[in-house]
Amino acid sequence: MNENNMPKLTDLFAALGDPVRFAITERLLRDGAQSAGDLRDVAEISAPAISRHLKVLRSAGVISQTIDKQRRIYAVNPASVGSIRAWIDSHEAFWASSLDRLATALQEDKPDE
Amino acid sequence: MSELVLERHFPAAPDRVFAFISKTEHLLKWWGPESMTVPEHDLAFDRLGPWFSVMVNAQGDRYKVSGQVTHVDAPHSVGFTWAWHDEDDVRGVESHVTIKLVPAQKGGTDFTLTHVDLPSDDVAANHQQGWTSSLRKLEALAI
Repeated sequence: MNENNMPKLTDLFAALGDPVRFAITERLLRDGAQSAGDLRDVAEISAPAISRHLKVLRSAGVISQTIDKQRRIYAVNPASVGSIRAWIDSHEAFWASSLDRLATALQEDKPDE
Repeated sequence: MSELVLERHFPAAPDRVFAFISKTEHLLKWWGPESMTVPEHDLAFDRLGPWFSVMVNAQGDRYKVSGQVTHVDAPHSVGFTWAWHDEDDVRGVESHVTIKLVPAQKGGTDFTLTHVDLPSDDVAANHQQGWTSSLRKLEALAI
Protein backbone atom coordinates (compact mmCIF):
# COMPACT_ATOMS: atom_id res chain seq x y z
CA MET A 1 0.00 0.00 0.00
CA ASN A 2 3.02 2.27 -0.26
CA GLU A 3 3.71 4.25 -3.42
CA ASN A 4 7.43 4.72 -3.56
CA ASN A 5 7.33 7.36 -6.28
CA MET A 6 5.10 9.59 -4.20
CA PRO A 7 6.50 12.42 -2.07
CA LYS A 8 7.13 11.46 1.55
CA LEU A 9 4.09 12.21 3.65
CA THR A 10 6.09 13.46 6.60
CA ASP A 11 7.85 15.99 4.33
CA LEU A 12 4.51 17.12 2.92
CA PHE A 13 2.98 17.60 6.33
CA ALA A 14 6.01 19.46 7.66
CA ALA A 15 6.02 21.78 4.62
CA LEU A 16 2.27 22.42 4.73
CA GLY A 17 2.31 23.01 8.48
CA ASP A 18 3.39 26.62 7.90
CA PRO A 19 0.45 29.03 7.36
CA VAL A 20 2.17 30.96 4.53
CA ARG A 21 3.15 27.79 2.69
CA PHE A 22 -0.36 26.42 3.16
CA ALA A 23 -1.79 29.66 1.73
CA ILE A 24 0.56 29.48 -1.27
CA THR A 25 -0.48 25.87 -1.92
CA GLU A 26 -4.13 26.72 -1.59
CA ARG A 27 -3.78 29.62 -4.03
CA LEU A 28 -2.02 27.43 -6.60
CA LEU A 29 -4.70 24.75 -6.27
CA ARG A 30 -7.51 27.27 -6.65
CA ASP A 31 -6.12 29.54 -9.35
CA GLY A 32 -3.68 27.26 -11.13
CA ALA A 33 0.01 27.85 -11.94
CA GLN A 34 1.46 31.23 -11.00
CA SER A 35 4.78 33.08 -10.90
CA ALA A 36 6.46 34.20 -7.67
CA GLY A 37 5.32 37.75 -8.53
CA ASP A 38 1.69 36.63 -8.76
CA LEU A 39 2.01 35.07 -5.31
CA ARG A 40 3.32 38.28 -3.71
CA ASP A 41 -0.01 39.19 -2.09
CA VAL A 42 -0.55 35.79 -0.43
CA ALA A 43 0.96 37.14 2.78
CA GLU A 44 2.48 40.37 4.00
CA ILE A 45 6.06 39.22 3.67
CA SER A 46 9.00 40.14 1.47
CA ALA A 47 9.76 38.68 -1.94
CA PRO A 48 12.83 36.85 -0.62
CA ALA A 49 10.65 35.30 2.11
CA ILE A 50 8.17 34.08 -0.51
CA SER A 51 11.09 32.59 -2.43
CA ARG A 52 12.26 30.73 0.64
CA HIS A 53 8.80 29.28 1.21
CA LEU A 54 8.58 28.24 -2.45
CA LYS A 55 11.92 26.48 -2.09
CA VAL A 56 10.71 24.51 0.96
CA LEU A 57 7.51 23.52 -0.87
CA ARG A 58 9.55 22.37 -3.89
CA SER A 59 12.00 20.27 -1.92
CA ALA A 60 9.11 18.56 -0.09
CA GLY A 61 7.48 17.74 -3.45
CA VAL A 62 4.37 19.83 -2.80
CA ILE A 63 4.91 22.05 -5.84
CA SER A 64 6.99 21.97 -9.01
CA GLN A 65 8.65 24.76 -10.98
CA THR A 66 8.84 25.37 -14.72
CA ILE A 67 10.54 28.20 -16.63
CA ASP A 68 8.48 30.23 -19.08
CA LYS A 69 10.29 33.09 -20.88
CA GLN A 70 12.69 33.49 -17.95
CA ARG A 71 9.79 33.55 -15.47
CA ARG A 72 9.57 30.82 -12.88
CA ILE A 73 6.09 29.33 -12.80
CA TYR A 74 4.93 27.29 -9.82
CA ALA A 75 2.19 24.65 -9.74
CA VAL A 76 1.01 22.04 -7.27
CA ASN A 77 2.44 18.59 -7.85
CA PRO A 78 -0.67 16.38 -8.21
CA ALA A 79 1.13 13.42 -6.58
CA SER A 80 1.46 15.37 -3.32
CA VAL A 81 -2.26 15.85 -2.83
CA GLY A 82 -2.80 12.33 -4.14
CA SER A 83 -0.55 10.79 -1.51
CA ILE A 84 -2.32 12.67 1.28
CA ARG A 85 -5.65 11.40 0.01
CA ALA A 86 -4.27 7.87 -0.40
CA TRP A 87 -3.16 7.91 3.23
CA ILE A 88 -6.64 8.79 4.46
CA ASP A 89 -8.38 6.44 2.02
CA SER A 90 -6.24 3.41 2.85
CA HIS A 91 -6.82 3.75 6.58
CA GLU A 92 -10.46 4.68 6.31
CA ALA A 93 -11.06 1.58 4.17
CA PHE A 94 -9.26 -0.63 6.66
CA TRP A 95 -11.01 0.67 9.74
CA ALA A 96 -14.49 1.09 8.28
CA SER A 97 -14.63 -2.52 7.10
CA SER A 98 -13.00 -3.82 10.27
CA LEU A 99 -15.41 -1.96 12.55
CA ASP A 100 -18.39 -3.36 10.63
CA ARG A 101 -17.01 -6.80 11.39
CA LEU A 102 -16.42 -5.84 15.03
CA ALA A 103 -20.09 -4.86 15.34
CA THR A 104 -21.11 -8.23 13.91
CA ALA A 105 -18.69 -10.15 16.15
CA LEU A 106 -20.03 -8.37 19.23
CA GLN A 107 -23.57 -9.18 18.18
CA GLU A 108 -22.76 -12.86 17.85
CA ASP A 109 -20.87 -12.88 21.15
CA LYS A 110 -22.26 -14.85 24.05
CA PRO A 111 -21.09 -13.12 27.25
CA ASP A 112 -20.79 -16.36 29.21
CA GLU A 113 -18.94 -18.43 26.63
CA MET B 1 -1.12 16.46 10.18
CA SER B 2 -3.69 14.09 8.83
CA GLU B 3 -6.41 12.76 11.07
CA LEU B 4 -9.08 10.12 10.67
CA VAL B 5 -11.86 9.82 13.28
CA LEU B 6 -14.44 7.03 13.27
CA GLU B 7 -17.27 6.86 15.81
CA ARG B 8 -19.53 3.91 16.52
CA HIS B 9 -22.06 2.83 19.11
CA PHE B 10 -22.15 -0.78 20.28
CA PRO B 11 -24.94 -2.27 22.44
CA ALA B 12 -22.38 -4.29 24.46
CA ALA B 13 -20.95 -2.93 27.72
CA PRO B 14 -17.46 -1.31 27.75
CA ASP B 15 -15.87 -4.34 29.47
CA ARG B 16 -17.00 -6.62 26.68
CA VAL B 17 -16.06 -4.20 23.90
CA PHE B 18 -12.66 -3.73 25.51
CA ALA B 19 -12.05 -7.48 25.40
CA PHE B 20 -12.86 -7.42 21.69
CA ILE B 21 -10.43 -4.63 20.90
CA SER B 22 -7.58 -5.91 23.07
CA LYS B 23 -7.43 -9.72 23.16
CA THR B 24 -5.97 -11.78 20.34
CA GLU B 25 -8.77 -14.33 20.07
CA HIS B 26 -11.34 -11.55 19.68
CA LEU B 27 -9.25 -9.23 17.47
CA LEU B 28 -8.85 -12.03 14.94
CA LYS B 29 -12.65 -12.15 14.51
CA TRP B 30 -12.74 -8.67 12.97
CA TRP B 31 -9.23 -7.46 12.10
CA GLY B 32 -9.03 -6.32 8.47
CA PRO B 33 -11.46 -6.32 5.56
CA GLU B 34 -13.87 -9.26 5.22
CA SER B 35 -12.08 -10.80 2.24
CA MET B 36 -8.71 -11.01 4.00
CA THR B 37 -7.13 -13.60 6.25
CA VAL B 38 -4.51 -12.95 8.93
CA PRO B 39 -2.14 -15.93 8.70
CA GLU B 40 0.70 -14.32 10.69
CA HIS B 41 0.25 -12.07 13.69
CA ASP B 42 1.29 -10.94 17.13
CA LEU B 43 -1.90 -9.05 17.70
CA ALA B 44 -2.88 -8.02 21.23
CA PHE B 45 -3.58 -4.61 22.69
CA ASP B 46 -3.93 -5.74 26.31
CA ARG B 47 -0.20 -5.33 26.94
CA LEU B 48 2.55 -2.87 25.99
CA GLY B 49 5.16 -3.73 23.39
CA PRO B 50 5.40 -4.69 19.73
CA TRP B 51 2.56 -5.99 17.58
CA PHE B 52 2.20 -6.92 13.92
CA SER B 53 -0.23 -8.53 11.52
CA VAL B 54 0.09 -9.86 7.99
CA MET B 55 -3.13 -9.78 5.97
CA VAL B 56 -3.52 -11.76 2.78
CA ASN B 57 -6.24 -11.20 0.18
CA ALA B 58 -7.81 -13.73 -2.19
CA GLN B 59 -5.12 -13.02 -4.81
CA GLY B 60 -2.40 -13.87 -2.29
CA ASP B 61 -1.14 -10.28 -1.89
CA ARG B 62 0.40 -9.71 1.54
CA TYR B 63 -0.13 -6.55 3.57
CA LYS B 64 1.95 -6.24 6.70
CA VAL B 65 1.38 -3.61 9.35
CA SER B 66 3.26 -3.27 12.63
CA GLY B 67 3.82 -1.01 15.62
CA GLN B 68 4.12 -0.70 19.37
CA VAL B 69 1.32 -0.72 21.91
CA THR B 70 1.85 2.60 23.73
CA HIS B 71 -0.87 2.52 26.37
CA VAL B 72 -3.49 0.18 27.83
CA ASP B 73 -6.14 1.54 30.16
CA ALA B 74 -8.84 -1.13 30.59
CA PRO B 75 -11.70 -0.75 29.90
CA HIS B 76 -11.30 2.84 28.67
CA SER B 77 -8.67 3.10 25.95
CA VAL B 78 -5.74 1.62 24.09
CA GLY B 79 -3.11 3.32 21.94
CA PHE B 80 -0.68 1.89 19.44
CA THR B 81 1.62 3.03 16.65
CA TRP B 82 1.01 1.86 13.11
CA ALA B 83 2.96 1.59 9.86
CA TRP B 84 2.46 -0.39 6.66
CA HIS B 85 5.43 -2.36 5.34
CA ASP B 86 6.26 -2.33 1.62
CA GLU B 87 7.02 -5.37 -0.58
CA ASP B 88 10.61 -5.41 0.71
CA ASP B 89 9.36 -5.37 4.31
CA VAL B 90 10.57 -1.78 4.77
CA ARG B 91 8.41 -0.04 7.34
CA GLY B 92 6.71 3.11 6.04
CA VAL B 93 5.40 6.32 7.61
CA GLU B 94 4.46 5.83 11.25
CA SER B 95 1.07 6.92 12.52
CA HIS B 96 -0.78 6.53 15.81
CA VAL B 97 -4.11 4.90 16.64
CA THR B 98 -6.17 5.55 19.77
CA ILE B 99 -9.39 3.73 20.62
CA LYS B 100 -11.57 5.21 23.37
CA LEU B 101 -14.58 3.58 25.00
CA VAL B 102 -17.15 5.53 27.02
CA PRO B 103 -20.30 4.10 28.64
CA ALA B 104 -23.20 5.44 26.58
CA GLN B 105 -26.01 7.26 28.37
CA LYS B 106 -28.64 4.97 26.90
CA GLY B 107 -26.57 1.85 27.59
CA GLY B 108 -23.87 0.17 25.59
CA THR B 109 -20.60 1.77 24.55
CA ASP B 110 -19.63 4.83 22.56
CA PHE B 111 -16.55 3.92 20.56
CA THR B 112 -14.12 6.44 19.02
CA LEU B 113 -11.13 5.51 16.90
CA THR B 114 -8.62 8.23 16.02
CA HIS B 115 -5.85 7.57 13.54
CA VAL B 116 -3.37 10.42 13.15
CA ASP B 117 -0.23 10.81 11.12
CA LEU B 118 2.92 11.58 13.08
CA PRO B 119 4.96 14.38 11.51
CA SER B 120 8.74 13.93 11.33
CA ASP B 121 9.30 16.97 13.53
CA ASP B 122 7.34 19.51 15.53
CA VAL B 123 6.79 21.94 12.67
CA ALA B 124 3.50 20.41 11.64
CA ALA B 125 2.47 19.76 15.24
CA ASN B 126 2.67 23.48 15.98
CA HIS B 127 -0.04 24.03 13.44
CA GLN B 128 -2.04 20.95 14.17
CA GLN B 129 -5.13 22.91 15.11
CA GLY B 130 -7.46 23.24 12.18
CA TRP B 131 -5.25 21.03 10.09
CA THR B 132 -7.90 18.46 9.29
CA SER B 133 -10.46 20.94 8.01
CA SER B 134 -7.76 22.68 6.01
CA LEU B 135 -6.75 19.38 4.53
CA ARG B 136 -10.30 18.62 3.47
CA LYS B 137 -10.41 22.01 1.80
CA LEU B 138 -7.20 21.29 -0.07
CA GLU B 139 -8.53 17.97 -1.24
CA ALA B 140 -11.80 19.51 -2.39
CA LEU B 141 -9.88 22.07 -4.43
CA ALA B 142 -7.68 19.39 -5.97
CA ILE B 143 -10.50 17.31 -7.38
